[in-house]
Amino acid sequence: MARLTLEGLSFTYPDAKAPALCDVDLQIEGGEFLTLMGATGSGKSTLLRLLKPELRQNGTLSGRVLLDGKDIGGLTARESASAVGFVAQNPEEQIVTDKVWHELAFTLESLGARRELIARRIAEIAAFFDIEPWLDRETATLSGGQKQLLNLAAVMTADPEVLILDEPTAQLDPIAASRFIDTLHRLNRETGLTVIISEHRAEELIPISDRLLILEEGRLAFCDTPKKAASALKDTAYLRFLTASARIFAGTDGAGEAPLSVREGQAYVNGLTVKEIQTAEKTAEQKASALSLKNVYFRYERRGADVLSDLDLEVKEGEIFALLGRNGAGKSTMAAVAAGLRRAYSGSVRVFSKRLKDYTNGSLYQGVLSLLPQDTENVFLRETVREELCGCEKAEERLPFDFKPLYDRHPFDLSGGERQLAALCKALSTNPRLLILDEPSKGLDGNMKALLCGVLKGLKREGVTILMISHDVEFAALCADRCALFSQGRIAAADETETFLFENRFYTTAASRITRQKTRGGYTVERAVKLLGGAGC
Amino acid sequence: MRRFEDMNPLCAAFYYLCVLGLTMFGMNPLTLSLSLLSSILSAVLFGAVKGRGHAFSLILFLIAALINPLIVHNGMTVLFYFNDNPITLEAVLYGLTAAGMITASLYWLRCLSKVMTSDKVLYIFGRFSPKLALLLSMSLRFIELLRVRWRKIQDTQKALGLYRDGNLIDALRGRARVLSVLIGWTLENGIVTAESMEGRGYGSGRRTSYSAYRMHLSDWLFLPVCAGLTAVAVVGQVRSTVVFYPDMQMELWNLWGILGAAAFAVLGTLPLIINAKEALRWRGLLSKV
Amino acid sequence: MLTIRNTKVRTLLRYAIPFLLVPLLVAVGAVAFEGKRYLIISLGIAVLALLLFMTGFERRNIGSRRMVITAIMTALAVFGRFIPVFKPITAIVVLTAVYLGAEAGFFCGALSVLLSNIYFGQGPWTPFQMLGFGLIGLLAGYLGRVLERSRVLLALYGAAAGVLYSLMMDVWTVLWYSGGFDGKLYLAAIGSAVPFTVVYAVSNAAFLMLLYRPVGNKLRRIKRKYGV
Repeated sequence: MARLTLEGLSFTYPDAKAPALCDVDLQIEGGEFLTLMGATGSGKSTLLRLLKPELRQNGTLSGRVLLDGKDIGGLTARESASAVGFVAQNPEEQIVTDKVWHELAFTLESLGARRELIARRIAEIAAFFDIEPWLDRETATLSGGQKQLLNLAAVMTADPEVLILDEPTAQLDPIAASRFIDTLHRLNRETGLTVIISEHRAEELIPISDRLLILEEGRLAFCDTPKKAASALKDTAYLRFLTASARIFAGTDGAGEAPLSVREGQAYVNGLTVKEIQTAEKTAEQKASALSLKNVYFRYERRGADVLSDLDLEVKEGEIFALLGRNGAGKSTMAAVAAGLRRAYSGSVRVFSKRLKDYTNGSLYQGVLSLLPQDTENVFLRETVREELCGCEKAEERLPFDFKPLYDRHPFDLSGGERQLAALCKALSTNPRLLILDEPSKGLDGNMKALLCGVLKGLKREGVTILMISHDVEFAALCADRCALFSQGRIAAADETETFLFENRFYTTAASRITRQKTRGGYTVERAVKLLGGAGC
Repeated sequence: MRRFEDMNPLCAAFYYLCVLGLTMFGMNPLTLSLSLLSSILSAVLFGAVKGRGHAFSLILFLIAALINPLIVHNGMTVLFYFNDNPITLEAVLYGLTAAGMITASLYWLRCLSKVMTSDKVLYIFGRFSPKLALLLSMSLRFIELLRVRWRKIQDTQKALGLYRDGNLIDALRGRARVLSVLIGWTLENGIVTAESMEGRGYGSGRRTSYSAYRMHLSDWLFLPVCAGLTAVAVVGQVRSTVVFYPDMQMELWNLWGILGAAAFAVLGTLPLIINAKEALRWRGLLSKV
Repeated sequence: MLTIRNTKVRTLLRYAIPFLLVPLLVAVGAVAFEGKRYLIISLGIAVLALLLFMTGFERRNIGSRRMVITAIMTALAVFGRFIPVFKPITAIVVLTAVYLGAEAGFFCGALSVLLSNIYFGQGPWTPFQMLGFGLIGLLAGYLGRVLERSRVLLALYGAAAGVLYSLMMDVWTVLWYSGGFDGKLYLAAIGSAVPFTVVYAVSNAAFLMLLYRPVGNKLRRIKRKYGV
């Protein structure tokens, strides 16, 4: 008998015309690892939430979900809380209590477990997830990756049979994300836990998944093993959910079994011939500096450690510059120093060749520089989008996006991508010549990323200089002119995107890893396909 | 090594209840001077009060001691007249005693605050009401979150040009706006927390309250010792006579009075005795390593 | 062990406290402790009253959303004490009570005092402060319907609460200092506290005026959107 059975599952939200989920039938065996993909709004979250009775939203539901043959709605509160574990997207907000150990105890406390059992389970879980070293810390002081790991561990204390994860790594940097996915894989492999995860990170997930599900407008568009997916989806739009190897394979009309991992991709590419295309001559003109930091030192507390030490950075006018690096390395601090929100204790910061302190009375933030933070929530002050964007009409025209349908919505009710664009619109309202963006692609899906990339390139054409701080190498590869790696409080290397990604072995895109033995320019899938003689994808 | 700070929070709570009760409810000059001495010693050794704190206490002591003779003019022995009002010896001595009581209480409370970390407060509340302990724990987390977010919103709005004029009105209005965003953002995201709680079984039945603290043998021993010493000290206070007005009558040095004072001296230094004993034992243990 | 694990004991406490323990305490206090009877009695009653509310809280089934919102508002009240110039603790307690009910108001008030005293120092006054702020919240919750409608009434309530709270805490100061209730000392205490009381009452009213719209709107939105 299947562990989880979905029978004709449909769901419609109260005010919606079309159902969010339409007639989904699915059988999931115990110990399976399932990856769920689909565009934003395709019904992924709706589907996953239906599997956890506590999280079902208001609306009309038809069909059944059976857990080991029993209807999941018929379980008692305690049974269902412990049978199905759920981890959501936002690492911060899922944490309930103040201390790490207390967070681990919370689930069992709620289920009324004995003290001895709780103590034993905490010890066990802390060892498995390697969180013993920070068991006594306050939850607010953890990094994003640690928080999400804690959420997973806290859910696992109840010993669930099925684990459901709704975009758990969307807010994490790539290193924390792959650690998280490794832990999931280990759980699945070593304890036979059934895992259902919705996520965009194809590179890490597809090679370890048993089955791949693709949702489109509430319907199950595809459901089979990843190997089969690579050949079955070859000529469809769903190809974008697959790994770089499979996409290059499809783009170059490969025959036979499709490669999935980087290793398989390399073997495939090595059998192809590269056609060298002439790239446009680089304009070697000397451009003026938009932002320059020289020998900058910064620390938060007098006795603390240096967060920035001997940092040099030069961003030229009219370029898109991407600063990459691990989370918590000090990238955001550098942005704050560059934007004059924090003062470096040594070194000089110049914006358009003028020292920061020469911009008096906030004139820096009027028409010169604008900084958009990671958490776009704190950009919005008002109750509706209309009030929020009042006075931003000019900026609205510069963006290829129609905000009018969103005017009456509350800013918090927008989707991640819409919110990012609205925030960008506000940042542009002061008409800045230098725009600093902190993690602009965080939590966005592929389509939204492409749109944002187009927006940034458009702004560049208008002469806006953009400094982008990101851990998303793939996004930087799409739109940056130059890239730099941030490490140990300084810039480790800055170079043209092509050289940067070719010379990096680890901090580079999957496409670059696959094609590097043949060519140095194939750092995005599109470029790789073009270079390897495909018709384009 | 199990220092006083590492003992079960109930012990610490009971202990401070006893010393504070004896200090606050008695006006016995003998006990109060012992209390003042031992509380200062405790505060210094626990690192609960540092330089400026002592200066503040001294000033408070002086003010508290002066107020009484200036306002209350009871008492038989007039020392001198101040603004045509008699300043009496009794009122001065009463003021000194009351000031000692207040200062000692404050020193004890500082020790209490130092020893009773949020974990321990939660443990004690968890004994009464697991749900209340949870509410406290959640609030503590939100306080930390609010601090971090306040800073973030402040920075964001500044960089987007919120503070334009740089005058006080602008600053105040800006703060109010930032506070408003802070509340909105936190409330909005709080729903995710609520869902996470429900998903993890909150409200599925009666809660238990977990804590790493347990009652050791030494904790069980500590409580009756503490209670016994307190009882002797109370009897000592009841058996001695302390009358300030209108005529001072003090009878402190009878048998029970002395016994009570001795008991209080032991009680006041009990945590220090425990820690000294543990430190010695630790030395002995280390020499075996 | 030492907990009040047993539901029956909790229920017993609920009835025993008002009908048995409080009168007993008054009687014993009046006979036994000569010097400081008022102090002991008042402190005892404050602690017992808090205990009464706590047992009631544990008994009730409170939804997770309500818990979270109460926790956030409590945290905000505590956090308010850290912002320079801003001390909106009373305003937040009153608004919480008006929008979320008397019980949430009581706990927001009482717990924010307890928590902020972890940072600013506990005192023998802690139970009184807790009870004081708790009652400000409780009463605002009962008057919620009326207060929600008018900003002016809300501000008046805030100012009145500030004055009453100060008067109450002064009684306690005098009791602590002199054992009995001394009219002269009390007047002196009130007199010396007048500027503080005035600033306090006015700032309460001002913050309620200032925060009524933004905080009220947000709480209303949350209540509507998530059905609290």
